[in-house]
Amino acid sequence: MDIGFILINATIVACIYGLIAVAVSITWSSLGLLNLSYGFIFSFAGYGAYLAARMLSDHPIVVLTAGILVGALGGIIICMLVFIPLHDKPNFTIRGMIGTLAISLIGSQCLLWYFGPKNKALPEVFGYWKVSIGNTVLTSDKIGIIVCSILMLVFVVLWMKSSRRGLEIRAMMMNPHAASIVGIGIRKTGFYVMAITGGMAGLSAVLLSQTYYIAPFSGLTPLIKGVSIALCGGLGSVQGAVIAAIILGITEALTSRLLGGQYVLITQFLVIITILIIRPRGIAGLLDKAREQ
Amino acid sequence: MSEILNVQGLSAGYGPLRVIHDLDLIVSSGERVGLVGLNGHGKTTLFYGIAGLTGWQRGSILFNGNQIGRTRSQGPGRYTHHIVRQGLAIMPQGDEIFHGLTVEEHLDSGAFTKQAWKTRKQRKEQVLDLFEPLKQLLKTPVARLSGGERRMVSIGRGLMTDAKLYLADEPSLGLAPKIGKGVMEALLKIELSNSAMIIAEQNVALLEGKVDRVIGMHAGKLKGEASSALSMHLK
Repeated sequence: MDIGFILINATIVACIYGLIAVAVSITWSSLGLLNLSYGFIFSFAGYGAYLAARMLSDHPIVVLTAGILVGALGGIIICMLVFIPLHDKPNFTIRGMIGTLAISLIGSQCLLWYFGPKNKALPEVFGYWKVSIGNTVLTSDKIGIIVCSILMLVFVVLWMKSSRRGLEIRAMMMNPHAASIVGIGIRKTGFYVMAITGGMAGLSAVLLSQTYYIAPFSGLTPLIKGVSIALCGGLGSVQGAVIAAIILGITEALTSRLLGGQYVLITQFLVIITILIIRPRGIAGLLDKAREQ
Repeated sequence: MSEILNVQGLSAGYGPLRVIHDLDLIVSSGERVGLVGLNGHGKTTLFYGIAGLTGWQRGSILFNGNQIGRTRSQGPGRYTHHIVRQGLAIMPQGDEIFHGLTVEEHLDSGAFTKQAWKTRKQRKEQVLDLFEPLKQLLKTPVARLSGGERRMVSIGRGLMTDAKLYLADEPSLGLAPKIGKGVMEALLKIELSNSAMIIAEQNVALLEGKVDRVIGMHAGKLKGEASSALSMHLK
């Protein structure tokens, strides 16, 4: 019973935070922007899905799509407010980090001001059925979270591998200078990257809201975990982010099972620090100097 | 013979550094120009100036009749993609490649402009005819190729667009003489009906008798033009 339960919980945590970590990683390596505004995008998308569920319909597809689209919109807003004005100024890395963090805080306060401090709940997107495998009971929301996030990740990776836009983003990730030489516009690519990563954060917001409520500051923990997972996996590497998400998911599930939920952050950061001491560039960090300016 | 590139009074550099001083250059269609000069005398900066990749620049650059030079206070590369879309192909010096992409994806990325993207299959075949050795390497990541093969990839990438002006920056640099010659020959094989090409090179011998004219570059200025026959005396 125990092992199956721990594995399922680990997978769920890995899926949700992995989505954000991959988003952080892609933004960093293609735009050179350490986007700390996923906290805001996360709550923004959560409220978007909530409004869609109340006003349009609470059909699962409507709620999920609304979350993804509003998340993408949030990404585009961040892109217009931070990336476009700052990207060619000196010290963009630091300025972009401060700018996105500021917008994250301001945005969350705006959500608090508009929607009030009361938590909102999303409808159960995945229904109420359950499946048992051996001794482990799988509820519908757990299966739904795993399937949805894996589908999204596979979609993003395939899109980046096969389409013209994906080629554009990957070229930017590997060598921004050479990318402009072949005619790739940094600003336009910025919008695509921020929209698709915002969509990933939006989906993870809807998925997490199956267990937690939506609140103005509910994005803070996913942001911290997403960024630290991305750091641990090596900024800029999608595979690294996925591996780190799995490791930290197992840590979280094991800790809450063996020690208790209150120790989760402690053990998680101990694991992250250990990994970064042994391997400073992260699990699969890139060694090339494309992003060190 | 129409003018493809008309540079008037161009100065360009990076920060406080001024690399190009008041430079004038006219290139007409169908012309293949050799640009000869030592390291650090501004060949690459001239190319980057045309592409809008220098830190700042002053002066007029008419490309195909359109003004593409302007005072750039904004960071480098801001307008480069617009200029590239107007028909500029740059084959940069050194390792300006995408390490993780395969050779095929690389060639695709060269055809990034909308018109070229549609015809990229035929273009790829043309480029592969020019660079035979790349045919077996299409699925290999570029990071695993040898120096000569990488150079072929970066030149092939430049050839994937329908460019009006090709800028080849030291195509033979760092290659074994035989491979360097092969790369140069491939560049010389390209037909220029209504386009032009500038080849920067340190080694005059490679350009001798093969280009329409040779221009020397010294300390950020063009020094003396010579037709191909005279270039022997430049050595």
